[in-house]
Amino acid sequence: MNKELEHSFVEQLQKHQNIVHKVCRLYTNNQDAHNDLFQEITIQLWRAYPKFRGDSKFSTWMYRVGLNTAITLYRKTKRRIQTDDFDAYQFKIKAEEYDSTEEEQLKLLYKAVHQLNDIEKALVFLYLEDKDYREISETLGITEVNARVKMNRVKKKLKAILNP
Amino acid sequence: MDELELLKKDWQRDAVEYPELSYDEIYKMSHSKSSSIVKWIFYIGLIEFAFWFVISLGLKAFGYGEEIKKLESSTIFVILAVISYAVLLYFLYKFYMNYRNISTTDSARRLMKNILKTRKTVKAYVIFNLVFLVIATFYGVYFSLQNDEASKSMVDAAAANGEMFKFYAGIILVTLLLLVITIGFLLLFYWLIYGLLLKQLNQNYRELKKLEI
Repeated sequence: MNKELEHSFVEQLQKHQNIVHKVCRLYTNNQDAHNDLFQEITIQLWRAYPKFRGDSKFSTWMYRVGLNTAITLYRKTKRRIQTDDFDAYQFKIKAEEYDSTEEEQLKLLYKAVHQLNDIEKALVFLYLEDKDYREISETLGITEVNARVKMNRVKKKLKAILNP
Repeated sequence: MDELELLKKDWQRDAVEYPELSYDEIYKMSHSKSSSIVKWIFYIGLIEFAFWFVISLGLKAFGYGEEIKKLESSTIFVILAVISYAVLLYFLYKFYMNYRNISTTDSARRLMKNILKTRKTVKAYVIFNLVFLVIATFYGVYFSLQNDEASKSMVDAAAANGEMFKFYAGIILVTLLLLVITIGFLLLFYWLIYGLLLKQLNQNYRELKKLEI
């Protein structure tokens, strides 16, 4: 593989690395698993890069490979849900602060999202990234109608987890 | 406010400080070894092909000399051997082509489908071998009863005592028992390996398929 290709790949990934971190945040429960998944996604992105034609944005292409790695390729043994782990696994929040009620509510929300299954998490992830239903359906390989139906079910499920 | 809307607001605000990886760290990471299940399926698949190939060679090497030579020269044996090699080549080709079709840029559902297809190729080859094993074992037993001197005298002795039915029933039962134990052991082994490896993938694939009903 030529050096130019390597250089452009690493440079673009470095610029968009937060996308990978976000996927890892949703699909893992501790720092070790986060790092493991980050590494696996990076490997898969690099392997797929020679076929990346640039007809979609690099970031859009990253969503697909990242999610596919998290849902399908990554071996799950190291990321079983452990509530204790999850509480300790929180990233630092930047200077702009939330009031404590809002912060507590968000913490509960993230915890609830972690209880969803892999496919539901993928839907939530794409929704949070403001992707439209067309893109969500293409990424997962389901119809747009079914993506909408499933999203509504996920919302209900989250409500039920938060208000048992 | 809708729970997800609140989450979205936070998510988009990017208020979390993720560890920032340097150029060198990302470069090193992208060249490290993958531990993806596709890699495991590929290697385990190759080991399975090799295993059954070695088994067929091993049977020849450890078979008892003269009898095996007689067996090898029989037309049926030659036909079975040709079929088994042709089938091996066919499945290897199909396995490789399916493996090559696995792409992380496909949709999640298509990716899962292609991975399971690759796995199914190996599964079909294993089933073929198990059926082949049963046929070959029964043919081998039949052949040795017809041609092996020691076996022949046992048949004669049974005939003289009027215990032909008991003799053949015993042979069939012992052969079946050995086959059941061997196949059972192999199936348990497969169930453990693939069950653990593909549990999550199967679950997710079912979840996606369920959405399309």
